[in-house]
Amino acid sequence: MTTVLALQWDWSFFTENADELLAGMRRTLEASAIGIAGALVIGLVLGAARAHRIPVVSQLAGIYVEAIRNTPILVQIFMLYFALPQIGIRLDAFIVAWLAVMIWGGAFNTENFRAGFEAVPVRYREAGLALGFSRMATFLNVTLPIGGRISLPSSINTYISIVKNTSLMYVIAYPEFTTTALQINALTLQTTETFAALAVGYLIVVWTMSVLIRLVEARLALPKDTR
Amino acid sequence: MNIPDWVQPVAEYVFRTGLVNTLKISALALVGSTVIGIVLGTLLTIRFLPGQALIRLYIEVWRGLPILVTIFMIFFLLPSLSQQLRVDDPLIAAAIGLTLWGSAQVAEATRGAVASIPREQHEASAALGFGWIGRHVHVILPQAVRRLLPPIVGLLVNIIQNTTIAQVIGAPELLESSERQVERLTFEGQEHAVEIYGAVMVLFFLISFPLTRLAAYLERRLV
Repeated sequence: MTTVLALQWDWSFFTENADELLAGMRRTLEASAIGIAGALVIGLVLGAARAHRIPVVSQLAGIYVEAIRNTPILVQIFMLYFALPQIGIRLDAFIVAWLAVMIWGGAFNTENFRAGFEAVPVRYREAGLALGFSRMATFLNVTLPIGGRISLPSSINTYISIVKNTSLMYVIAYPEFTTTALQINALTLQTTETFAALAVGYLIVVWTMSVLIRLVEARLALPKDTR
Repeated sequence: MNIPDWVQPVAEYVFRTGLVNTLKISALALVGSTVIGIVLGTLLTIRFLPGQALIRLYIEVWRGLPILVTIFMIFFLLPSLSQQLRVDDPLIAAAIGLTLWGSAQVAEATRGAVASIPREQHEASAALGFGWIGRHVHVILPQAVRRLLPPIVGLLVNIIQNTTIAQVIGAPELLESSERQVERLTFEGQEHAVEIYGAVMVLFFLISFPLTRLAAYLERRLV
C-alpha cells in the first residue's frame, strides 16, 4: 500500500479570493472588537463588585460567572440564535456574533479582574481611605491601577479566546473568517489552500496578541517592591 | 406535575446517544491529550535537544487555531490530501481535533511543572544511577504530576464543553443529538428549543461545576 499525497497547490486561490477572505477577517475582527470592549467593561465592573463583596451585585455576578463558565459557548450561541425566537426574541447573526462572545468573555474577565483586585494588599486600600479618599476614589486611584496590571495578561488571554470563539459563528452562518473560507471552499473545492488561508489568518492574529501579552507584561510589570 | 408527552423520547435519545457520545469523545481526548502532552512537555525541558523547535511549533499552532478549524481540518482536509488519511467517524475526528488542542495545553503545563522540580532532584537521581528515562519516570514526573493535576482537571472541563464543537461535523454528541430532537419536534409542529437547549445547559452545568470546584480545591491543596 502506498500513500499518495495528492498535494495540489494553486497560488491564484489567494489572489482570486483575497477580497472575500479579507472581508471575512474584517467581520471576525469587528465582532471580536465589540465583544472585547464589552467584556472589558463587564469584567471591570463585576470584577470590582466581586472583589469588594458589594451585596447582591456580587452574588448575582457570581451566578453569572459560574453559569457561563460551566456551559459550552456553542450551546449559549444555539440558545441565543435558535431558541430565543421561540419566545419572541429575534437577534440577527451579527448581534449574536458579538453578544455571545461578549457575555462569555465578560464572565471570564470578571474572574480575571476579581483575582487582580483581590491581589492588591488590603493595606493599600486602607491607606487610601485613611488619606481621605472616598471608596470610589480609592478604587480608581489605588486598586484599579495596581490590580488592573496584575489581571492584564490573563484578560488578554480571554480576548484571544474571544477572537478564536468567533469562529463558532459558523453554526449561525455569520460570514466571519471561517464561514467565508468554507463557503469559498464549497465553490472551489481547493481544500488545501482554504485551510492554509484559515490557519495563517488565525495564527497571525492570535500570535500577534500573544506577543502583545509579553510586551504588555514587560512594560506594565509592577516594580518589584510594590508586590 | 405532569410531564408533557414530548419529553420522554427526547430525553431518551439525548441521554442514550448524546451523553454517551459526549463522554466517549471526552474520554478519548483526555487520555490522548494527557499522554502526548506529558511526553512533549517533558521533552521540552531538555536543553539543546534538536527538534525542539518542532514541538514548540506544534504547541503554538494547535493552541492558536480555533478548535472548530482544527476539527474541520481532520474531517475535511486530511481526506483531500490522501484517501488513506480519511477519518470516517466524526466522533474520532472530533477526538483527534480535541487531542491536538488539549495535548498542546498539557505540554505547556508539563513543561512548567517539570521545570519547577528542584535541580537537586535531577542530580540526586542521576547520582543514584538512573538514566534520563528512569530519572523522569521514577523521580521527576511523579512529583510533577501533583502540580499537573489541577490544570488537567481544568482541561477535562474544557474538553467536555468543547465536545459540542463536534456538532459541526455531525457527530451525535449532546448538542447535535438535542438539535436533531428540536428539529424533529419543529417538523411535527411543536417548538421546544428553549426547553431542550436549556436542559442541555443544565446538564453541562451539572457535569462541569463539580469538576471546576475540584480543580480549584486541588489547586489549593496540591500546589
